[in-house]
Amino acid sequence: MPSKRKAVASKKIKATENSDPSSASPPNSDRDTASTSTGTTPAAALPSTNNGNTDSILDRSKARFALARPYDTLLQQKGGALSALTPAEQSAWLSARIASRLARRPVFASSTAASPPSSNSGSSFGRDLRGAACGGGPKTLKEVWRTVNEASLPLRAAAVPLVKGLEEGISVKEFEARWERKVWLTCSDVASRCFKEKRERERRGEREEKTGERVIVTGQEIFEETGRRQQMAALRTELYGGGVRKDGKLAADPEWDDVVPVVLEEPEGALAAIAYPPEYAEAMSYLRAVMQAKEHSPRCLRLTEHIIGMNPAHYTVWLYRAANVFALKLPILDEIAWLNEVALENLKNYQIWHHRHLLVENYFPTIASDPAAISAFAASEREFLRQILAEDTKNYHVWSYRSYLVGKLGQFDSAEELQAIEAMIDEDVRNNSAWSHRFFLVFSNPEHATPGVAATEPDPKVPQAVVDREVDYAKGKILLAPQNQSGWNYLRGALVKGGRKLGTVEEFASGFVKGLGQGEEGEQVQSTHALDLLAEIYAEKGDKEKADLSLRRLGQKWDRIRVGYWEWRRKCLETPA
Amino acid sequence: MAHTAERSEPVLDIDRHLRYWKMCLQSSLPRHYLSNEGNRMALAYFIVNSVCILTPPPSETQQDRKPLIAPGDRRKIRQWVLSHQQPGGGFAASSSLVFPVKGYEQWQSETGAQEDVEGPGLANLPATLFALQILALLADENDEAGAFSGVDRVQTLRWLRRLQRQDGSFGEVLKLLPGHGWFIGGGYDMRYCYIAAAIRWVLRGDVREGEPGWVEDFDTERLAEYILSSQTYDGGFAGSSQEEPHAGYAYCAISALSLLDRPVEGSTAPHRSEVLYSGIRNMPGLIHWLSSRQFVYLEPEPPSSDAEYGEREEDEEVNFLLPKRLSDLSLSENLRYVACNGRCNKVADTCYTWWVAAALANLGKGDLLDWQPLRRFLLEKMAHRIGGFGKHPGGPPDVYHSCFGLTALAVMGEPGLNELDGALAVPTRAVGVIEKARAVLLRRSSGEERDSAARAVELGRAMRGARPAWLGAVGGG
Repeated sequence: MPSKRKAVASKKIKATENSDPSSASPPNSDRDTASTSTGTTPAAALPSTNNGNTDSILDRSKARFALARPYDTLLQQKGGALSALTPAEQSAWLSARIASRLARRPVFASSTAASPPSSNSGSSFGRDLRGAACGGGPKTLKEVWRTVNEASLPLRAAAVPLVKGLEEGISVKEFEARWERKVWLTCSDVASRCFKEKRERERRGEREEKTGERVIVTGQEIFEETGRRQQMAALRTELYGGGVRKDGKLAADPEWDDVVPVVLEEPEGALAAIAYPPEYAEAMSYLRAVMQAKEHSPRCLRLTEHIIGMNPAHYTVWLYRAANVFALKLPILDEIAWLNEVALENLKNYQIWHHRHLLVENYFPTIASDPAAISAFAASEREFLRQILAEDTKNYHVWSYRSYLVGKLGQFDSAEELQAIEAMIDEDVRNNSAWSHRFFLVFSNPEHATPGVAATEPDPKVPQAVVDREVDYAKGKILLAPQNQSGWNYLRGALVKGGRKLGTVEEFASGFVKGLGQGEEGEQVQSTHALDLLAEIYAEKGDKEKADLSLRRLGQKWDRIRVGYWEWRRKCLETPA
Repeated sequence: MAHTAERSEPVLDIDRHLRYWKMCLQSSLPRHYLSNEGNRMALAYFIVNSVCILTPPPSETQQDRKPLIAPGDRRKIRQWVLSHQQPGGGFAASSSLVFPVKGYEQWQSETGAQEDVEGPGLANLPATLFALQILALLADENDEAGAFSGVDRVQTLRWLRRLQRQDGSFGEVLKLLPGHGWFIGGGYDMRYCYIAAAIRWVLRGDVREGEPGWVEDFDTERLAEYILSSQTYDGGFAGSSQEEPHAGYAYCAISALSLLDRPVEGSTAPHRSEVLYSGIRNMPGLIHWLSSRQFVYLEPEPPSSDAEYGEREEDEEVNFLLPKRLSDLSLSENLRYVACNGRCNKVADTCYTWWVAAALANLGKGDLLDWQPLRRFLLEKMAHRIGGFGKHPGGPPDVYHSCFGLTALAVMGEPGLNELDGALAVPTRAVGVIEKARAVLLRRSSGEERDSAARAVELGRAMRGARPAWLGAVGGG
C-alpha cells in the first residue's frame, strides 16, 4: 500500500527545476498543479503548508490552490486592481494566465505555437501578451515561456479547490487515514472480483490452466469472501455514509450473488410506511426476487427464517416457507421442532399456528394408519401446548390449534387431554378458554355427538351420564367462585345439550340468592349469574312476577351497569324477543 | 342514570385526535409497527377512516379548517392504493408485495393456465376490503361516482369466490403449494367471513345471470350456515363452533349476515336482515353474551414503586379487578367507568368497546348499553394526551386502537363525529359513495363506457405490435 505521505506529496512536483521550456515538447502533464515556489514568486505571503497535521484538509487545499496561482493571489492581496502590481509582476501575472491556458489545451497542433521562441522583451511586451492571449504570434509566445520559466510558475493549476463534501472539514491526518481506507477498499474490491471470477469459472465447469484440475471454490474462500464483503460494507458506510446500501447481510453473502434483489420503492402517496430496519428492507427485496423466480431451496428456507426473526407476523413469508418445505420434501417433524422454538419466542403470533396447522395437515396422512404414532405425536404436541399455555393461559390461537388437533388426531376420548384441561381449570377457575375447550371435548365427541347439531342445541344422543357428570363438574366449580360466569355458562350449556330444563338446577341456583325483594338488609346475592339464571327459571315455570322481580333487582342493585339489558329482559317477559 | 353526577362529563378533544392522525399521515410509523408490515393496507385504512370520521363534511364545517388530506393528496393516495391491485383480482396487503408489472406477464386469469405464476397469491382478502374502503373515503368531492375507477370489479369477485372453502368459510389468501395445488391460506377466522360478505356487497350489485357484468356469486347459503353454526354454547360467536367465543368474531358474524341481504341501493336506511334475524339460533343468548362483555372497571391502586409498575404491565389482572364483595358493585363511585372485554374473564381493551357496541347496534340493540360510563372509560382512561387511544389504560396510542376508539364513539352518535355505518365501519357518507361508485362500474361493464376502453386497448396493441400476455389479467378484452 502506498504510504500516506507519498500519497499527498506525490502531487507536489516541482515544476521548474531542470525543466526546459524551450524544448519542443509541450509542458507535460506531470507538471500539473502546484509548485513549491522558489525564486521570484511571492511565496512568503502564502500560508504555510508544512504543519499539515493541524490544518484541516480544506485549508491545505486552499493553500495549494493559492500556491498554484501565485500572481493571482498577489493581485488579490493588493486589492484586485492590476495597476497595483509592478510592471514585472504584471507581466508575470499575464504570462502565467496565458501559459496555463496553453497548457490546458489538449494537443499543441502547430509546431510554431508549440515552441516558445526566444526573443527579447520590449516595452511592447504587455500589448503583445494581450495579443497572445487572443492567439498571438510566436514572438509573444516565446516571451511568455521565458517569463514563466524565470518566475518558475506552475503550468497547470486546479480550477477550483479540490476537496469537497465529506472531506471538507477533516484534518489532514484524518484525510490520510481516510485515504488509506480507500486504498484498502480498492484492494478488497479487486480480491472480491477475483473471487467472483473464480466462482463464475467454477459454474462454467472450467479447469485450471496449469494443473488441469477443475476450478473449485473452497469453503475457506467463501468464508473469507463473506468476511471481506462485511469489511467492505463497513468501509463503504464509513467512507460514504449509509445512503445507498450495498452492505446488507445478504449482499455480503456469496451464496446470494446470483440474485438481483427487487428493491422496493415507495411511490408518491404511500401511506402507513413503516420505518423498518435496513436489514428488513434488504431481506424483503431478496424475498421478492426469489418469490418471483419461484425458487425453492435451502437458502430460501434460511431467508424466511431470517425474515421471520425480524417480523414473525408476515403471512406471505410463512406461506412461502411452507412452499419451500413441501418442495424440498423436508421432514415435517424437523420443521415442527424448529417451529417450537420460534413459537416460544413469539407467543402472540398468529401465523405460527397456521403454519403448524398446515404442517399437521400434511404430516397426519403419513401416520393415519398407525395408532401408536398418532398417540406419540399427540403426546408430544400436548407437551408443547402445556409449555406454551404456561406462558399465556388464554392465548386464542393456541386454543384454536388445540381444538383442531383434538379433532384431527381423534383425541376426544383421551384421558390425558381431559386431565390437562381439568388441571388448567383447577389452576384458574376463571380460564374461560379452558372451559370452552372442555365443552368442545365433551359435547363434540363423535362417539356420541350427532353430526350437524349446533352447540346451542340439545343433542339427544349425548348420554345422560355424561350430562350428569358435566352438570356436577360445573356446580363444583361454581361453589369455588360463585361470581365466575364461566362456570354458569357451562352449566347452562350442559343443561341445554342434555335437553334438560333450567329448572333442574333451581335449588342449586337459589343457594346463592337469599331473601329476594326483602329489603336492603334481607336480600343477599352471592352471584348475579345465579339470579340471572333464576329469572329464566321462573319465566320457564311461568312465574312472571318472580322473574320480573329478579331482573328488576339486578338492574336496581346487583348489576347496575347492565340495567338497560335487564330492563329489556323484563320487556321480553311480556313479548318474547 | 342515578349514579355519578358529581363530576362533569369529559369532552372529546377533536383537535387533539386530529393532531395525532396528522402525525400518522405525515411521517413514517415507528419501528414497532414492523409486525404489521404484512397488513399495511389495514394501517392505511385506520388512518384514513379516522381522519374522515373526525372531519365533518365541508358544508357543516364552522371554522375554515383545512382538510387534513388535501384534494391533491387524495388522488395520490388513491393511486397508491390502486397500485396494490393484482392482475388476478384483489389487492396486495403491503407495498412490499407489489411487483413490477413484468412479474405478472404469464398470468392468464381466464384459463388459470400458467398457474405457477405467483399472481393471485399476493392478493389478500382484508387488504382488498380496506383498499376499497379507502378509495370510497377519499373519493373526489366532485366525482364521487368515479371512486372505483381503476378497480377490476369482475376479476376481484372471481378471485373472492376462489377463497371460499368447502365448509363455506373464507381464507385470506391463495397460495400455490408444491404438490398441493392452490391452497386457501389463513385460519378459520370469522373476520374473513365478514370481509368476504362486505367485499361482495361493495362490488357485486344486483346483476342477474346473463346480464353484462354478471359474475358467479360465492355460495352465500353455505357462508351463512358456517357463520350460524359458529355460535357457541354460551351465546357468543367464535372462529368456528369448536372454539371460544370472542367479541370481535361476534361483530363479524352479525355484520356478515346482515350484509348478505343488505339492499344494494339506499342501504343506509335501517334494514331488517332476514338472514340475521331468522338465522341466528339463539338470539337472546347472543344479546346476553354481548351485554356480559361489560364490566365495572375498578381502578388499580397506584403502584408503590417503579418496579411494581413494571410488573403490573405484565399482569393482566390489573385491568380486570374483581370487587371484594359483590355488593360493592352497586356503589356509585364504582360505577364511573365501564369497560368491555373480548372474552369472558378477560381484560379491558379499547377495541372491545367498539366490537361490542357495534355488534349490539347492528342488532338494533345499541340502547341496551348504558353508554355514559363506557364513554367515560374511553375518554378518561384510554385516550392519550397526545391524541389517539391506547390498548390498555394509560398505554401509548396506536393506529388500531385509536381508530376503534373513534368508531365506538361514532357508532354511538358522539357529537362532532361523522355518523358511522355499523356494518361497514365507515362514515355513512362513504357508504353513499360506494353505492354510486359501484353503479358506475356496473354501467361500464354493461357496455355504456366500454368503447373508450376498447379503443385504448387497440391503441396499446398497435404500439406494442402484439397482444401482451397480461392483457387478459388486467381486464382488457
